[in-house]
Amino acid sequence: MTSVRVRNLWKRFGQQVAVAGIDLDLPSGKFIGLVGPNGAGKTTTLSMVTGLLRPDQGSVEVVGHDVWRDPVEVKARIGVLPEGLRLFERLSGRELLSYSGRLRGLPGAEVDKRATQLLDVLDLAGAQHKLVVDYSTGMRKKIGLAAALLHNPEVLFLDEPFEGVDPVSAQIIRGVLERYTASGATVVFSSHVMELVESLCDWVAVMAAGRIRAQGTLEEVRGAAPSLQRAFLELVGAQGRDTGSDLDWLGGAGR
Amino acid sequence: MSAATGAPAPAPAPGAAPGAAASAPGLVATVVRLKLSLLRNGLRQSSGRRAAYVASAVLTLLFAALLLLGLIALRGHAHAVSLVVLLVTVFGLGWAVMPLFFPSGDETLDPTRLVMLPLRPLPLVRALLVASLVGIGPLLTLLMLAGSVVSVAHGAAAWTVGVFAVALALLVCVALARAVAAANIRLLSSRKGRDLAVLSGLVIAVGVQLVNFGVQRLGTSGLGELDPTAAVLRWLPPASAVGAVDSVSDGHYGVAAAQLAVSAAALALLVTAWARSMTRLMTSPDGSTLQAAEPSAQKRRGRAGPAARLLPGGRTGTVMERSLRYVWRDPKTKAAWVTSLAIGLIVPVFNALQGTGSVYFACFAAGMLGIQMYNQFGQDTSAFWMVAMTISSTRDAYDELRARALALLLITLPYATSVTVLTTALLGDWAKLPEVLGLSLALLGAMLATGAWTSARFPYSIPQEGYKNVAPGQAGLAWIAVFGGMVSAALLCAPVIAVTVWLNVSEGGDAWTWLLLPAGAVYGAGVTLLGLRLAAPRTAARLPEILTAVSKG
Ligand SMILES: Nc1ncnc2c1ncn2[C@@H]1O[C@H](COP(=O)(O)OP(=O)(O)O)[C@@H](O)[C@H]1O
Ligand SMILES: [Mg+2]
Repeated sequence: MTSVRVRNLWKRFGQQVAVAGIDLDLPSGKFIGLVGPNGAGKTTTLSMVTGLLRPDQGSVEVVGHDVWRDPVEVKARIGVLPEGLRLFERLSGRELLSYSGRLRGLPGAEVDKRATQLLDVLDLAGAQHKLVVDYSTGMRKKIGLAAALLHNPEVLFLDEPFEGVDPVSAQIIRGVLERYTASGATVVFSSHVMELVESLCDWVAVMAAGRIRAQGTLEEVRGAAPSLQRAFLELVGAQGRDTGSDLDWLGGAGR
Repeated sequence: MSAATGAPAPAPAPGAAPGAAASAPGLVATVVRLKLSLLRNGLRQSSGRRAAYVASAVLTLLFAALLLLGLIALRGHAHAVSLVVLLVTVFGLGWAVMPLFFPSGDETLDPTRLVMLPLRPLPLVRALLVASLVGIGPLLTLLMLAGSVVSVAHGAAAWTVGVFAVALALLVCVALARAVAAANIRLLSSRKGRDLAVLSGLVIAVGVQLVNFGVQRLGTSGLGELDPTAAVLRWLPPASAVGAVDSVSDGHYGVAAAQLAVSAAALALLVTAWARSMTRLMTSPDGSTLQAAEPSAQKRRGRAGPAARLLPGGRTGTVMERSLRYVWRDPKTKAAWVTSLAIGLIVPVFNALQGTGSVYFACFAAGMLGIQMYNQFGQDTSAFWMVAMTISSTRDAYDELRARALALLLITLPYATSVTVLTTALLGDWAKLPEVLGLSLALLGAMLATGAWTSARFPYSIPQEGYKNVAPGQAGLAWIAVFGGMVSAALLCAPVIAVTVWLNVSEGGDAWTWLLLPAGAVYGAGVTLLGLRLAAPRTAARLPEILTAVSKG
């Protein structure tokens, strides 16, 4: 079963083509990694898939409903943690969860119960009354994740959830996500760190320069290559590029 | 720390620091180019923004041309110099205050962005000063100064001094703006400081009031009334530069030299102060690190307080609670509210105290607070995505907008009513109370309606860092949204105003003016609901576009 179905999706910013007609079929119940270097178009793709950015062309279906024509069905079923967008930072962590849960129409008592549990699991209970503006990057990602999980979505989209996060917080986030996918939900997350994707995901889509270069199970994409990193470099034709000869002045006695 | 920077800042002689700073003319050209390209990029993002920018530029130029013509026509008038000196002072004040509110497109001039570059403060100050001269504001000021000189210069000597005076006064204005802005960034980089910045709103409120009184004085007794004020102002920079031109015209060369010296000294002082602030900005840790170290002042942000529990349930109460919290906690929102509350109170009450007021001024309170409905989503910043993710139908958008209007009403209704009653009491004109209240309510309704609509149609970013209220390239859009909205609001109120006038002039109409209270209330409520109804589908259909518009800066 597919949870996300993307057809011929395009986005241009002026001259720059950020996403150049991609097709994606992401299976449900999997831990899915969207991997590619900075500027590959991951954020742009995820924004269009979640309805935060209007595509120039193409269609997106999430759990069988068109994102742009049927937002009522889609928005209730997905959770999002975007990158580069703020939270309501003048609320405390708990207030933010309470706000976002109630905004989604959950009953107040239920929101409070879930918020307490999420704050505990994510190790934020001690900081729950601090304003989010005073949170560290790792704490922000965690409170954002909590807000995205609060309404128990079927599909969770996370843009660079581990970027700038300390190892302890990263481990906590990882644990929560693994437990969540084990229950049958789908996680789609983007990253430019191949090792991370390789260790977390059972399904990957490789993106570079606005196009999908490969998609499938980790084994399929990796093929004969020893690691995903190597497979990726082969896919984009960048392996063996030698940096040594150009920078011969760097380091050494030439100062 | 002050000891370190208080030591005479080593004025780097050109060439004293080899390789550290680019040569001065090169740096000037670079910074000017940087400013132009930032402006261009800001405009390139949408044609609507470009149109708005061009429109505001044309309006400004039109105004400048009229001003110039007026000043030339003033030439030869006995009291011309009094008016001119006052005008230059007002412009100077404007330059001092404007960067706190509408520093449109001056990103090059935000020194914190240049911290990483290996630049010495003084060459940088010079380059930034020149770059500041590029823009519509400086052009308007230049034309005004030229016109001022034309209206007071008589004789070749005066014309020569005049050219010099224009350049000097313009530089003083620009340096004033930059010095204030740089000082303000330092203030704004701590949370405490940001909250203090709220006071700058009061400066504007009082300034508007002073101008208001001045104009009223003039209206009653002619330009001659200005002479005593002008006698003082002609010694204050930047007006003293223009004062010097007049002194030369009268043959008082010594006085002229002194006046020029005052302006020149002011320029030197401002540039030094600016360079100081910049040095400190470039050498001390930036605000974001300071902030984390700041001991958390708010220890316990408890569960919903007793007041919050009185709010309705569902989306309405949730959104209202968040909006009200932001009025208190978000420095930008708070500053805007304090300004509105202050002006809304000061204008009618001061006028009443002066005995010159009219009860109708009380409508100011409703009007000023209604402005807070404008650019609702811009106030959210890019956090608007959290709202966008939960709006999936026109109904959701309607609930969202209505809740924001209700939060606003929760403060505005009692406040506007109190101001109206207070003004009426000061003037003792109780018979007018119902109609003024009715007018206030109608106006408030019209502002809410147009505010909701423009929030959906013309959203723009309010950058959270620094002192800016509009992102580069969006200033024109912001002005058009707010002023277009206010003009439409006034038009929407026209029926109620017409009935008020009619009842007041017609025979025996006074007996029925009490009807204006319920009529105004019903009209205001109706217009608000209509505005929300029209804004909701636009909001729901334009969520990605709104998010893009409010995510800049
Ligand atoms: N709002 C925007 N305006 C202009 N260009 C953009 C915008 N957003 C993204 N881009 C460009 O689109 C490309 C893809 O960006 P992005 O989706 O953020 O990549 P990734 O998330 O994979 O790093 C980049 O080259 C980026 O510069
Ligand atoms: Mg990205």
